[in-house]
Amino acid sequence: MTQTPQFQGVHLFDRLCWCKEHLDGVQSDIRIVFEDPNDMDAPAKILVPDPNWVSAAENGGVLPPVESYWELAKDEAQPDFVKHTRGYLLHNTEPVGPMTETTGPYGGWVNYLIMKDISPSVWQTWNEGNKPKMVICRKEQLPSTREWRNAWKISEELTIEDVAA
Amino acid sequence: MASELRVNTLKDASGNNSIATSFVAGGSAKAWANIDGSGTVSIRDSLNTSGLTDSGTGDYQTAFSTSFGNENYSFTYCGGQSGAETTYQMDTATMVVGTHRVQLKNGAGSATDRDYICGTFHGDLA
Repeated sequence: MTQTPQFQGVHLFDRLCWCKEHLDGVQSDIRIVFEDPNDMDAPAKILVPDPNWVSAAENGGVLPPVESYWELAKDEAQPDFVKHTRGYLLHNTEPVGPMTETTGPYGGWVNYLIMKDISPSVWQTWNEGNKPKMVICRKEQLPSTREWRNAWKISEELTIEDVAA
Repeated sequence: MASELRVNTLKDASGNNSIATSFVAGGSAKAWANIDGSGTVSIRDSLNTSGLTDSGTGDYQTAFSTSFGNENYSFTYCGGQSGAETTYQMDTATMVVGTHRVQLKNGAGSATDRDYICGTFHGDLA
């Protein structure tokens, strides 16, 4: 693991540039499959982790708490939103420590990524209703052809046992 | 940071062709991604993105690690594949400060995947 500089107060973009220079990307085969409750006729969506983001998450001391993104999302949801004025939440809040897929802050970077990049309407109620709305799986478990994936639904291919806690 | 230069203006060796460092910083790409759209989608390399959501044929949403400051940022996409026409039509479905969703189309206007999909984003960060 590479020693991360003290990044609190450093612009997040500058931290990511540091990571780009000092860390090797980590290609994860984790995929998060989810269905949009606002568009139930659409095929299941697949969230792919970014390799450079994963390396930053695993190294620790780079990424802000996911709650910082939630605060910015609240600002964006305001009808009179024009521009962000609280970007400092990303840059000045103490960065989170090292994470693996399933250990560390938030129970691992998979959970962090879900809470950052997927709508709360999915992950807050992922296991409510007739079937799960979200599944964490491996790349190899997914249909490899687009024809299959476009007609694919979670319950047809992955069972409840595949769903992460 | 190990070291840094703090200057307002850059000039060439003869003192000409000056340019403000703010211009250089402002004009640099703030995010980019090289996406492998073949098979199950993946990201080859990137800057300032946390993940990519595959939402259907040619339908991709990029999430930024550092959000843009407003929704007026600029983006450039291209898609290519050996033996296939260059993808040159793009419909932006959603463009918000934290994510950008685009749908790639072929010349006939049909949504399409490509082996190489590259996106570059310029603008002001939050």
